[in-house]
Amino acid sequence: MFRIALKMLAADRAKFVGLLFGIAFTSFLVTFAASYFCGFMTNGFALISENGATDVWVMDPAVQSVEQTINMPASALDRVRSVEGVSRAVPLALGNADVRFPNGQFQTFQVIGVDDASLAGAPVVPGRNPDELRARAAVIVDAGGTSGKLETPALPQDQWPHDGAHLDAPTRELRSGDELLVNEHLVRVLGQSSTLPRFPPRPLLYTTLSNALLILPVEPHTLTFVMARTVAGVSPREVAWRIELRTGLRARTTADFKSDTVRWFLVNSEDVGDIAAMLMLAMTMGFGVTGVMLYMFTYEHQSQYAVLKALGTPSGTLTAMVLAQAAMCALLGTGMGLGLCGLAGEVVLRLGFPFRMMWFTPLAGLLGVVVVSVVAALISVRPVVKLQPAVVFAGR
Amino acid sequence: MTGADQEPAVRCRGLTKHYGSGNERVDALRGVDLDVRIGELLMLVGPSGCGKTTLISIITTILDQDGGSCEVLGRDVGHMTEAERTHFRGKSIGFVFQAFNLLPALTAVENVSVPLLISGVAREVAEQRARSVLEEVGLGARADALPRKLSGGQQQRVAIGRALVHDPKLVVCDEPTSNLDAKTGHEMMNILRGVARASDRALIVVTHDNRTFEYADRMAHMEDGRIIDVSEGGRRGEQS
Repeated sequence: MFRIALKMLAADRAKFVGLLFGIAFTSFLVTFAASYFCGFMTNGFALISENGATDVWVMDPAVQSVEQTINMPASALDRVRSVEGVSRAVPLALGNADVRFPNGQFQTFQVIGVDDASLAGAPVVPGRNPDELRARAAVIVDAGGTSGKLETPALPQDQWPHDGAHLDAPTRELRSGDELLVNEHLVRVLGQSSTLPRFPPRPLLYTTLSNALLILPVEPHTLTFVMARTVAGVSPREVAWRIELRTGLRARTTADFKSDTVRWFLVNSEDVGDIAAMLMLAMTMGFGVTGVMLYMFTYEHQSQYAVLKALGTPSGTLTAMVLAQAAMCALLGTGMGLGLCGLAGEVVLRLGFPFRMMWFTPLAGLLGVVVVSVVAALISVRPVVKLQPAVVFAGR
Repeated sequence: MTGADQEPAVRCRGLTKHYGSGNERVDALRGVDLDVRIGELLMLVGPSGCGKTTLISIITTILDQDGGSCEVLGRDVGHMTEAERTHFRGKSIGFVFQAFNLLPALTAVENVSVPLLISGVAREVAEQRARSVLEEVGLGARADALPRKLSGGQQQRVAIGRALVHDPKLVVCDEPTSNLDAKTGHEMMNILRGVARASDRALIVVTHDNRTFEYADRMAHMEDGRIIDVSEGGRRGEQS
């Protein structure tokens, strides 16, 4: 009987295509929105990802993410180093600074101060020796997911002019040798790196911790994170627990800190609400199209169901037939939607947008489709179950 | 033993059925007594609204009666559960409808095999049996055609095949010739007449088509919810 149900479905091509479109649309939008959200979140913990050698992140007990931080006393570094199981611990300082370009334009950068000794956390600039970052006032700039924010005047006469700002001067991208003014300190650009894009996007300025302390406003506490590695054979979670016990600071494994950051964004970011609204819209649209199409299909085939009922088909079998039709549409529509989402993902990635189709995002799409299809099928099956087979007789 | 001596295929006594209530109450059946014998073709005739469709709906277990009794093939249909009636209908009753009511997405052979599939017969077996039935009704060559590719007469042959494929003991035909021309109508009636003669089946044919009255063994005339007369029919086809 399932074969009959599927033949009935495929024979009505217009509605079949409509159903597939509705479900593919739902699947595509739900998966795309979820993947886009994952892309945002991945960018949200980019600082953690780009420090892959770190096993445990140590921070002020109030810090919940890399996005909103408060500094610790410098002594925290030595306290962490003294904990059993820690093989290496390096400092990382974060701060924000309004950076002045030579033509007078300014842009807010996130300043990332890395350990002077190891340069752990500093990005690589193609063609440059990493040690050059140790030079006084040396910085590496990074777009951090932005575009057009690293523009400096192209012509020498527009740089540090004495006749006022040349705000409309022609510009080019920052490159090695360019100068910037950070809190009245002149810094020299070593080059431009291409680290992971941030969420929210922001230009980045990497330098050594000692340089960062020079150019950032004076604060009593200067250490944002301590990045620790564990000795071989000791689990990061165990070391994190020991650090918390011994120092009173918050210590999280890399994986846990990524999760914390995602959770923080979920609770605090307005963008999450936008994504949720997009998901709701996708579900509503998909349900509208799929539900109406499936109901119309079933309603218009009532006479055929009545014949089957008159011939002795139990209501349960008719219900199963309608559900089989919905399931077939769900299966094909989901496949189409996911395929389309994969293609669209490739396109948006090439355009620089965050998109990450993780293992659970297609499942989210499938779940959305299952909810939409089951509800639509259950609504559609009602007239079939209530159907009086007597309508097949000429007198009815 | 002749059909008249045997237990009837259908025995209705004092059958009543009404629709609606209060001022809108319509008494569709007002105490119908009817026997349909095995091996006979009984025609149920009467004006529109006289209760023919209601009567065959009760006999075929599609509707419940309000009062009286109705035994079909030895089963009291009034005391069956919904599931029992559905199962009984699928196993024991064949239908031929005025509008053929074939499933347009299925080929002739697939349409004919539907009652067997409902009963749980494997598809290959069902279609094999359906092909042989289509041969019997003279449509073997068009077994794989979709209904829209068939003429009205051919579609009705498919419908007759579907009514017979599971070897039911009661076949109910609702205006089977109304949508057919005279020649095709006679062909259909010859087939149906042969069906009644060839095995221990009973046929009930509801019809307005007086061109077909001559094929009846007996004719039950209905009016205003009652059987007002049962007469001998023309029995054409006995000699053919």
